[in-house]
Amino acid sequence: MSTPNQKPIVVEGLTKTYQVTDREGGFSASVKGFFKRKFKDVKAVQEVSFSIGQGEIVGFLGPNGAGKTTTLKMLSGLLHPTSGKASVLGHTPWQRESSYLSQMTLVMGQRNRLNWDIPAADSFLLNQAIYRISDADYKRTFDELNELLELQTIIRKPVRNLSLGERMKCELAASLLHRPQVLFLDEPTIGLDIGAQQRIRAFLREYNKRNGATIILTSHYMADVTALCERIIIIHHGKLKYDGAINDLSRRIAPYKIIGVSLHDGSLANGLAEFGTLMPSDVEGKTLLQVPSAQVPEITAKLLDKFDVQDLTIEDPPIEDVIERAFNE
Amino acid sequence: MLTIYKRFWQWNWAQQWQYRANLLMYLAYWIVSPVVYLAIWTTIANAQGSVNGMTAGDFAAYYLTLLPVDIVTSAITIHILAYRIQDGTVSNDLLQPVHPILTNVLVNNVAFKALQLIVFVPVWIGLVLLFKPVFTFTPASFLLALPAVVMGFLLNFLFDSMITLVAFWTTRVWAIHQFYFAVGTLMNGAFVPLTLMPGWAQNIAQFLPYQLWMYFPVQLLLNKLPPEKIALNFGLQIVYLALAFFVFNRMWRAAVKRFSAVGA
Repeated sequence: MSTPNQKPIVVEGLTKTYQVTDREGGFSASVKGFFKRKFKDVKAVQEVSFSIGQGEIVGFLGPNGAGKTTTLKMLSGLLHPTSGKASVLGHTPWQRESSYLSQMTLVMGQRNRLNWDIPAADSFLLNQAIYRISDADYKRTFDELNELLELQTIIRKPVRNLSLGERMKCELAASLLHRPQVLFLDEPTIGLDIGAQQRIRAFLREYNKRNGATIILTSHYMADVTALCERIIIIHHGKLKYDGAINDLSRRIAPYKIIGVSLHDGSLANGLAEFGTLMPSDVEGKTLLQVPSAQVPEITAKLLDKFDVQDLTIEDPPIEDVIERAFNE
Repeated sequence: MLTIYKRFWQWNWAQQWQYRANLLMYLAYWIVSPVVYLAIWTTIANAQGSVNGMTAGDFAAYYLTLLPVDIVTSAITIHILAYRIQDGTVSNDLLQPVHPILTNVLVNNVAFKALQLIVFVPVWIGLVLLFKPVFTFTPASFLLALPAVVMGFLLNFLFDSMITLVAFWTTRVWAIHQFYFAVGTLMNGAFVPLTLMPGWAQNIAQFLPYQLWMYFPVQLLLNKLPPEKIALNFGLQIVYLALAFFVFNRMWRAAVKRFSAVGA
């Protein structure tokens, strides 16, 4: 059991190496492989260490195959690590104690935990029994989830008849009925339309605020990360590359701003190249300049002095570009 | 725990009723083999008068007792779990704080056979009228057969589960299960009553677990076993149950440790 001062998630040197078959394509390779199998080691996670405090929402980012899902699976007790230690709510996850499994949840986007053939309401009642939730607590939690996710109209339909967004709402509700203190969310908004994505994000923010739950979120949608996470952990080729605030990452990796300039007569400004690096623009009549952050006040003043500026914007580089640069570093 | 099992029952029972054609096809699949064996053996017995002392009426009684016993003691763990292990969706079950096989899979087995039995009864009555069996049941044989059938099911369930768990190592386990099932069909008295097999085969079959969930309960119901055989087989059931439970638990722990959650 965790002590009051202990962080809910502490990971030290976590490593997972898979042994996979190594075979070339083609018929003769298949036949050779039947008699003599070759294996190779894939280091999915290498010596990853971090800790997460109570109530934090942390974005866990990385390109495909970086080791994000493998890490979440180890922390949720699905996988045994090759080496290393982890403590989640004072438990070693892969020992799979009932008391641990009752306090956490792993939600994987587009993966179904509900029974496909019967209404979600039946699966909710099953979860009530599995997690030993009293009738009073169940009603209170369900009412709260219903308020946040608007479940009433959809929980009586067989799950197979629900849309992807409706199913995702039911999956989230089923995963949270037992009020877990730690949530591992693996691409929870994947495949959802923009409206559904926004509703899920709003729900997670509110759930975190009301329950103080600690959340690790993986997502390829930067809107999820910027809306929910002040801190991000970046993993690539199984190794931890960055752990800190999003703003600090921007300052470190992309210490520049994007200045957008529109002139009164609608023409493109000539001679801007001397002030910074010209960038492609999707907006007609608007020129974009990449400028070192430290030089922004000086260059802005020069632009306003030299040109007949109608509109001038100063923006941070797109977070997608920052993250992409972080992956490639 | 009782509430958990009750809710799993309600959940699985609701699911079983969703696909009516599927249920009827499963029932047809389940009864076709014993009915074919029954037809073959009664034809032979009618032609010869009897086979090793068994008349056509005896064969009819044997197979028409075997049919409901087979339904009650059968296990379908492989069908519930093998693909979920193969494609990684068993992850969902591993995230819950209950043993997935000893709760959901066990209850799924029971719910499936309960529904099958309901649909099976009129079919069985029709077969009885058609084949005219000579039943030798007694109240005592029913009372004795009850624990034998329950233990037979638990044994079959544990063995079937252990075969299914091999999928954690081999990914695909259907061929292994088919081999296990084929040996079982020969050794459990379904293909041929064990008393018609050569003596050496009978001796082997006696001490294999297969006959403990088929031949033994059937012969017990038909009042065909001497007291020493009843005692021997009950003893074997208890020993095999203890052994199977021990091995199953060890396999489960090793399987979960080995699980790689591929594709999930």
